[in-house]
Amino acid sequence: MNEIPEHRLQINRRHFFGRTSTGLGTLGLASIMNPRLFADEAPGRNAMGGLTDLPHFRPKAKRVIYLFQSGGPSQLDLYDEKPELIKRFGEEVPKSIYPDDRKTTMTLGQKQFVTAPSRFGYRSHGESGLRLTELLPHLGGVADEMCVIRSMYTETINHDPSITFQLTGSPLPGRPSMGSWMSYGLGSANSDLPAFVAMTSSGTAKAGQPLYDRLWGAGFLPAKFQGVKLRGKGDPVLDLNNPAGVSPEIRLQMLQTLGQLNRQKLEETGDPEIEARIAQYELAYRMQTSVPELADLSSEPKSTFDLYGPSAKKPGSYGYNCLLARRLAERGVRFIQLFHRGWDQHGNLPKQIASQCRDTDQPTAGLIRDLKQRGMLDDTLIIWGGEFGRTVYSQGGLTKANYGRDHHPSCFSMWMAGAGVKGGLTWGQTDDYSVNVAEDGVHVHDLQATILHLLGVDHERLTYPYQGRHFRLTDVHGRVVNELLS
Amino acid sequence: MASLESHFGRSYAGRPVGLVRGPNNWHASGFVDGSMFRSVVFTFFAACCATGPTSAAEPERVDFSRQVLPLFADRCFACHGPDENTREADLRLDLRASVFDRDPGSPLILPGQSSKSPLFERISSHDPDLQMPPPSATRQLKRKEIVLIRKWIDQGADWQEHWAFSLPVRPDIPEVSDAEWPRNSIDQFVLARLDGESLQPSHEAKRETLIRRVTLALTGLPPTPEEIDRFLKDESPNSYEKVVDRLLASHRYGEHMAMPWLDAARYADTDGYQNDRIRYMWAWRDWLIQALNDGQPFDQFTIDQLAGDMLPNATLRQQIATGFCRNHRINSEGGSIPDEWIVEYVVDRVDTLGTVWMGLTLGCARCHDHKYDPVSQRGYYKLFAYFNNVAEWGLGPNNGNSPPLIKVPDDWPLLTTTNDVKIEPAPYELVTSQVSVVRPKPGGKETVMVMAELPEPRPTYLLRRGQYNLPDKSETLTPGLPDSLNVSDKAPANRKELAEWLVSPENPLTARVIVNRHWQHFFGMGLVKTSENFGVQGEPPSHPELLDWLALEFVRSGWDVKQLHRMIVTSATYRQASVATHEQPKRDPENRLLARGPRFRFSAHMIRDQALAVSGLLQERIGGPSVKPYAPPGIWKSISNNKYVQDHGPSLYRRSLYTYWRRTVPPPTMATFNAAEREVCLVRKDRTNTPLQALTLMNNVAFVEAARFLAERIMREADSDSDSQIRFGFRIVTGRLPRESESEPLAKAYDQFLDYFAKNPTEAPKLLAIGEAARDKKLPAERHAALTMLANILLNLDEAITLE
Repeated sequence: MNEIPEHRLQINRRHFFGRTSTGLGTLGLASIMNPRLFADEAPGRNAMGGLTDLPHFRPKAKRVIYLFQSGGPSQLDLYDEKPELIKRFGEEVPKSIYPDDRKTTMTLGQKQFVTAPSRFGYRSHGESGLRLTELLPHLGGVADEMCVIRSMYTETINHDPSITFQLTGSPLPGRPSMGSWMSYGLGSANSDLPAFVAMTSSGTAKAGQPLYDRLWGAGFLPAKFQGVKLRGKGDPVLDLNNPAGVSPEIRLQMLQTLGQLNRQKLEETGDPEIEARIAQYELAYRMQTSVPELADLSSEPKSTFDLYGPSAKKPGSYGYNCLLARRLAERGVRFIQLFHRGWDQHGNLPKQIASQCRDTDQPTAGLIRDLKQRGMLDDTLIIWGGEFGRTVYSQGGLTKANYGRDHHPSCFSMWMAGAGVKGGLTWGQTDDYSVNVAEDGVHVHDLQATILHLLGVDHERLTYPYQGRHFRLTDVHGRVVNELLS
Repeated sequence: MASLESHFGRSYAGRPVGLVRGPNNWHASGFVDGSMFRSVVFTFFAACCATGPTSAAEPERVDFSRQVLPLFADRCFACHGPDENTREADLRLDLRASVFDRDPGSPLILPGQSSKSPLFERISSHDPDLQMPPPSATRQLKRKEIVLIRKWIDQGADWQEHWAFSLPVRPDIPEVSDAEWPRNSIDQFVLARLDGESLQPSHEAKRETLIRRVTLALTGLPPTPEEIDRFLKDESPNSYEKVVDRLLASHRYGEHMAMPWLDAARYADTDGYQNDRIRYMWAWRDWLIQALNDGQPFDQFTIDQLAGDMLPNATLRQQIATGFCRNHRINSEGGSIPDEWIVEYVVDRVDTLGTVWMGLTLGCARCHDHKYDPVSQRGYYKLFAYFNNVAEWGLGPNNGNSPPLIKVPDDWPLLTTTNDVKIEPAPYELVTSQVSVVRPKPGGKETVMVMAELPEPRPTYLLRRGQYNLPDKSETLTPGLPDSLNVSDKAPANRKELAEWLVSPENPLTARVIVNRHWQHFFGMGLVKTSENFGVQGEPPSHPELLDWLALEFVRSGWDVKQLHRMIVTSATYRQASVATHEQPKRDPENRLLARGPRFRFSAHMIRDQALAVSGLLQERIGGPSVKPYAPPGIWKSISNNKYVQDHGPSLYRRSLYTYWRRTVPPPTMATFNAAEREVCLVRKDRTNTPLQALTLMNNVAFVEAARFLAERIMREADSDSDSQIRFGFRIVTGRLPRESESEPLAKAYDQFLDYFAKNPTEAPKLLAIGEAARDKKLPAERHAALTMLANILLNLDEAITLE
């Protein structure tokens, strides 16, 4: 087990009770003699702005890069190999396996639900022999770092509630996103950049499903814990750049005068809010330097672009965001949330998924290799996945070359790599049709609990009081999937 | 958890001591039938013993309802609370009867004798088999809290029910140390509390501070220099009251007061799920502004919004008011199951009702009995039944209003009398697309969504785990209040009667909840800080008697909101200076004791509106469809399939309550300053500082343009020397003249700006081209640019965006 951080090494309540023969009678004295006994009653913030009692135990991961694939990537065509299905091509999927009441109303009216095996082949990779679709050759090269979960399952069948569930633990809006929880609990390791950064990109073939601000929102947590969106177009952070005609020198002059006046106001009113505001202007000014420096790729050698692929030079693309993710990670940003759209393939799936894989395969693999060569893969957790999977039956017509797939929450695939996870592992089983989890199911709340665990956070103990309840990311559920951990 | 039960069983066994009743304060009448709500006996014991939230000294006497019950709730109710399904050992610590009327052979608490009380033995035990909460529980009692409970038992274990569930009783106006200070009864209560803390109120704020404070609080916009001058010159004793009356009569009042209600009503211009389709609800917003400006009594305001469609001889306005109940999000994602989403809409209406009118987190009881408050899951679905009869379809259309809807007459909002008559909405028509996706035909931009009852009510069942597809069909539920809330034998039969019950004297909550939110509007924090939650887990009021007095006074006035506002803002309490003395920030950082006036940052909307107002750009026009002011490039397109098409001309400068609200991508300038997202009902929002706020105020096109026009105004209206210009600009923004220590650094900065733009002649035109409003070309560019930067400082001042 992990070392206990020094600040946790205090006499705990049980211990104290056990040793004190007179029990409560001496409490008052004890608290005077050891004021730390009551430390938990004045929850403060540590040097990084995190909660003082966090991490709960020594973390394996210092930071997270979450590569969210929006739309619901098809598990059948990427990670969940079902070679036997070829024989059932065009056959009706038995209702006993896939009852009607679990289908969306988009396909419920179809006359038939015919089996659509993946038209793509699978290959073994690395020492582990991990099986991946032929569409992901670059990932194949890092297969021994990957821990593929084939037995993910979720609860809702539509994009909006599912993606909200995946990232906030609830299908309805109003809860903090995972990055906000981490920003709130663990604080920031960089005083010039936000603790939580979000970036979005779209596939070249298809823009895809919309995203929502709530996916990187702070929900009921204070707004300062929300994710800051780095933008591919215009200012990388909203209103980061000075207006045209305003040089850094006169901005500094403006800020110095502003600071002078605000400090006078602070002395006059004694309102600590002013102190906080002055500090935020200082941080804003530092961001005016740190963010452009972050986004300036001119110092990156050619080898970087060989690794991530040519798209890494194109602002707003997935490749560019992956490279930026590494640069953010290097600078100590705690939670880096990417969103890549375009995986919602109701029709024309083979063509579209091939295009999505072309866009994302090399940058994703490049990121893993890059972190590894920098020695950062050991303490960076990478997560790849979407909000649900896709149906084994074809939506619309089925031919050998073409088919579509509808939404499917009962099983789907995700993978993790890096800090604290077993590389080269394939976890969980689905049934012969990839309709239901057959073995070792991992619920969304289980995955969330596991991610928090890797960051040194007990998902049951990181709570926030709101509307009379102590809310947590995993609601009242979640189990750390220890089997995935190294 | 069976082991817990056996633990408790063991503990009780063989206890020889009989139950001893506490000496006083049990108020058996409050618990005749175990209902927490039925008591009409209200004790002011709590009020007398309540101490300041920051007071270091422990009160002499422990206040059960304020200090002990919240501990029971937080640490024990999970297994010993209102939720029957998780209750252990048949013990509930939320009911006096369950604690004291047990088998006399095994009492739980022996009043006056903590050492012999099994409850105390359990909470202080270090035997893992005995201790409570058990070692596995994540929420443990702290030492200090155990001591407190012991003290409570030793003092006789008095028990009062949770304060918010008893009807308020008009308290006596307390005696105070200084008869001169109070201006109205509010001040008596506040001063009595300060007397108890040996604190004194602050002196009255300066007159220019006062008029700025009250003008911003009542209208959301700053006073003009002329208004300030007129007030400063007015020596009549009621000069301030005259200002207040002028502001209450201003049309800006209704626009400003609409803001918190729009957040509570989750008002928006889109549906809020997935593709976030367009809807048209602005006629409802028009109705709201008018109702507030007309000073509609709050009871009628309530009834119209919840059930205007069901009133006899309903007017069209009353019908449009019911749009409140249709402002929730509607899902139009293809593939969604309509039955599932109808449940979500009804849930949203119930939860909103709970937060807005009852200050209760009813939503907890959707899936299980409430863990803290006496609302059972069955009770929840009885409330659900009131809102489950809407003639709606579960899936929204692809853009446009969802039925039931009506056409807004052409002469809206003026309306001839013949047009002010309720219109019968047509039943929805369904169309099928994408093979099997069935949607209703949408209403266009000439329509508005309203409430309409189905001819035959939709049957309501308890939904197990809150799931639409797990109804408990063994019982069809009729509309009704949760048992614990129902004081008379007859429950409200329908939505209209429910609305009437809310504003009836039989409801202990609504008047308190509403006056508290108005207090929050003026002081930045309610008397009950958790303004959304008056339940056991909410924070107790800082001034319980004042809260009740205000609530009853509000009802007595005929629910007159403007009168309530007048009373609050004319109180000596409100008129205090907001400057904190040396010890105050430590002793009372949140100003709960009210020994000083309010000081808090503007809302997002006020920040932008003020910039528009002081620059002279503001376009005032009440009501109408939403407008699309400046937004960053690709604001919608980058993450959705819609494109933001910005308006031009006057629409860029309307007040922010008219800004187009796309729920999944709210206007970033507003979101940055903690605006509510409008996805669900919200009545309280934090005001944390972020660097993005600084970047917005410094660099955002709307604020740079405002600085540019403030500079023009300075150049046109002030004398031409820089000292006069600085004084003029400073006063426009802050309402006061700068001190020398303030004007000097500003003058120095101005000189440097001027120097910079003179040396870099290509730069001024760039800065002066930001924003779409053309500048006055006659003004010299370098000076204009330098003053724009000066105005940029002024608009970024803490004081500029703070109500103080």
